[in-house]
Amino acid sequence: MLLAAAGYGYPNAKIRALRSRRLTEQDRHFLLAAKDLASCLFYLATSSYAPCLPVLEKGTPELAFLERQLARPLMDHYAKVVRSLPGAKERELILALFSRFEAENLKLILRSLFADLSRERVCHLLYPLGPLSDLDWDLFWSCRSIPELITRLRANIFGRSLQHALAQFEAQGRLFPLEMALDFSCFRILRQAAAALTRRYDLAVTENILTSYIDHLNISWVIRLKVEYGLAAEEIVNYTLPGGKLISLDCLNRLSRVEGLADFIAQLPVVFQAELSALRDWGGIRPALEAYLLKVLARIFAGQPFHLGIGVAYLLEKELELANLITLLQAKARNLSVAEISSALPRQFTEG
Amino acid sequence: MFRPVQLTRVTIQIPEEYISVVMAILGDLRLLHLIRVEETPLGRMGYVAHVNIPLLERYDALLIRVNGLLEELQVSGAAPLLGRAQQPDKLIFRLEEECAGVEQQALDILREKKNLHTTLGKDQDLIDRLRLLEPLGLELGRLAALRYTVFQVGLIPEESLERLETSLGEIHHSLIPIERKQGRIVLFAMALKEDEAVLLRALKSAFWDPLALSTELQGKVPAILEQLTEEREKTAAELTELEKRAEALARQYGGVLLQLREQLLVARQLILAQQKFGQLDHTYLLTGWLPLALFEELRQRIMAASADKAIVEQLAPEEVKEVRSGILTIPILFNNPALIRPFERLTILYATPSYEEVEPTAFLAITFLLLFGLMFGDVGHGGLLAVLGYLIFKKMYRYLDYGIILMECGLSALLFGILYGSVFGLEDLIPALWMHPMENIGYFMKVSVVIGITMISVGLILNLVNILRQHRYAELLSSSGLAGALFYWLLCALSIRYLLIGPPSAGEILFAKAAGGLLFVLMIFQHPVRQLLARSRQKREGRFSISGVGVSFLESIVDVLDELLRYLANTASFVRIAAFALAHAGLFMAVFTLADMVRHAQGSGFLYWLSLVLGNVVIIGLEGLVVSIQTVRLEYYEFFSKFFRGGGKPFQPLL
Repeated sequence: MLLAAAGYGYPNAKIRALRSRRLTEQDRHFLLAAKDLASCLFYLATSSYAPCLPVLEKGTPELAFLERQLARPLMDHYAKVVRSLPGAKERELILALFSRFEAENLKLILRSLFADLSRERVCHLLYPLGPLSDLDWDLFWSCRSIPELITRLRANIFGRSLQHALAQFEAQGRLFPLEMALDFSCFRILRQAAAALTRRYDLAVTENILTSYIDHLNISWVIRLKVEYGLAAEEIVNYTLPGGKLISLDCLNRLSRVEGLADFIAQLPVVFQAELSALRDWGGIRPALEAYLLKVLARIFAGQPFHLGIGVAYLLEKELELANLITLLQAKARNLSVAEISSALPRQFTEG
Repeated sequence: MFRPVQLTRVTIQIPEEYISVVMAILGDLRLLHLIRVEETPLGRMGYVAHVNIPLLERYDALLIRVNGLLEELQVSGAAPLLGRAQQPDKLIFRLEEECAGVEQQALDILREKKNLHTTLGKDQDLIDRLRLLEPLGLELGRLAALRYTVFQVGLIPEESLERLETSLGEIHHSLIPIERKQGRIVLFAMALKEDEAVLLRALKSAFWDPLALSTELQGKVPAILEQLTEEREKTAAELTELEKRAEALARQYGGVLLQLREQLLVARQLILAQQKFGQLDHTYLLTGWLPLALFEELRQRIMAASADKAIVEQLAPEEVKEVRSGILTIPILFNNPALIRPFERLTILYATPSYEEVEPTAFLAITFLLLFGLMFGDVGHGGLLAVLGYLIFKKMYRYLDYGIILMECGLSALLFGILYGSVFGLEDLIPALWMHPMENIGYFMKVSVVIGITMISVGLILNLVNILRQHRYAELLSSSGLAGALFYWLLCALSIRYLLIGPPSAGEILFAKAAGGLLFVLMIFQHPVRQLLARSRQKREGRFSISGVGVSFLESIVDVLDELLRYLANTASFVRIAAFALAHAGLFMAVFTLADMVRHAQGSGFLYWLSLVLGNVVIIGLEGLVVSIQTVRLEYYEFFSKFFRGGGKPFQPLL
């Protein structure tokens, strides 16, 4: 404990200081109550997101551009958390978590190559990764075809996963296999990084967070692939992530084969059933699952403070805050009512 | 050396039909800094830039062809030296013809080589895929003839196998892993024909990479492999033969192609320079800065080439209206000998000198080497630095300048090492021709201060020269001008008198008080008085001025006190020369003490010598870096700040 306190004293203080800059209950209330997107942004300019907002007097900025700009504090916080951590293996884990944003930017390059769009036309949609990413982005942007990009990426895990998915990309003529391969590779990096942790307590807490996160993603993906994409069950199972906490492969197989929402909820473990039993439509599942994950993450901050899980939990919490903020802005742009917006957000965001 | 190359403003007016000839002449002389005509008053007279786009496109297209040939023939090497630049519009015909000649010889061979490469790659791919199936000993023809079952052979990522198995749980199927290969499993998958769609969907989502086997392949896999390998070897032999022919072509035409590329690049550059020309109807106008020494040659060559139809004029920089009004800056073309030239990098790092001020690189080089040698004086270390610098100079062309600087610093340190009698910190190997720094600390500090006074005085004198050259006469009476310099020298004279001879006499003190007081009053009052005069002038002219004389007087007092204190601080700052020389000697002592401790503990074996060598390496690396930083600091803050303002722009030659 003393050793852990010595190692994690500074990161713990740093992360808690960063956590104190999240949107407050009052912020969330006024953002939700704002009459339109412009007033929402003007209120946001008084919060910790102010430095990354463009000059609002020049008019409401494009939402897609704004979304990526709002990610800037999250990227900064990743860098700060990495810098504060004591060991290389701990830093590796945070960087593995960060690699999901690198994967998102790689997806954008893939899309621009696929649709033959120039860098200038899509660069506003990139995550501002900053110095934490050591990939040679200029080199990737100079590629003229997807196979060339994959060859350039050969040296890292993204490249290997993409190489494995290349045959399906060529056979199907769509980017979906490549995008899924990128997502899978991120979680492979995460699992490897978590397995390499040497402190037992770090490993236990981190695995608890990551497996809960994977459960959350798996349920969300099954619903998306089933309801939005209409994929067959045998396909859906293959597009799920290994390593969940409560949701086993068999459970995912059953979930991908049931039809209605009630049957779907009935197939879930009891913990989730309690959270989702009141739902009447598929749309309510995402916020409810997020609320559950936020509860898991919040619990991490309540116990023994000197471990890596504090950093992982904070960054995921911040990421969810960003995602919900973006949902809110999109809803404001579509002039949805407060009730409609609230139903698309986890209760922690709307209730405080 | 102390002034940049003297330039003159050249303006050339030339009929359209001679523009190409003029461009060739300019390309030949190279040293012309063009000014965009559209940005001068001539632009307002209707002269507009006009680049010959069709010609540029022809050059670009040809450049692509030549680069393609160079790449495919794998020709590389340094760019050859070119003779006289030629007219771009005529040159293109010759270059196109030469390129076509090479293409005629090379293209068929290169195309055939490429085809064989592709065939070889495909053959190898098929062989690789079939090898994966070799352990099963399958007969492909029989498998293809199955009526009630379907099969698929391919690779899937290892971690996908368990999910694939689960996803096929609802149908009859069989998954047979054959072997593992680079994170993937070679898999043989079978299902009933009626479930083929489910199998394919599941495989597709499991990142299935099928081994697409042609139905033409009949027989057992080993036999097919043998046949394919034979065919592949035959293709490889043909390819080797073609590669030899391509190598011969590269030897024959490599030089020609490199020459072609260089000519294309130069001509292209000349065409692009047209962006800065002005054109009005059928007349072209060019203007720019040229070294004065080259003007006559340029004029004669243009007049001869244009049958005296061109107008070539020159203007001295001080006569150019835009220069006088500050719209245009005269570029700087440095003019230093080879050994001083590398220090231009350090000068530019501070600022680019303006055309009128003293070019400080020579002063910087001399004082830099002096200060570095004083602080890093040791024969052994200096020698090593010099050798390292020489190696960089000889082997690393990109860092040539740094090599020269390092070599010169090394030689300076070596010279001071002789004066200090220090060889790798050993002070008893050679006699000190001057002193041992550790034994003469007080003396060394006095010497450092004297060096400081000298350098600051040189800086003040250069500042006076700059004031006179730039006609800033009002500054002569300020604390940074002549009055300040005289005040500084008065104080220095008193200090030196006190240190060398003893306390000054009553008469000398009276003189110093009177002169110092007068200079002080002059420095403080010059600004308010000038302000007062300016105000009364403004009043006479009916203009309103808001700044008061009182404020100006206060500002003046603060400025003068600040400037005089800075003189004192700058002089004291030079004491660091002695401090770092002593630190250098002190580090040697520390290394020898450590080595002695090792010797007492382990005997004078390998570890003793290792600690000595490592200690010296650390001193060279660490102390070398620190001394360089301190030298640059003294140069920039203590020396340059006295006279160097910068604000110029570098000369950009045409090619």
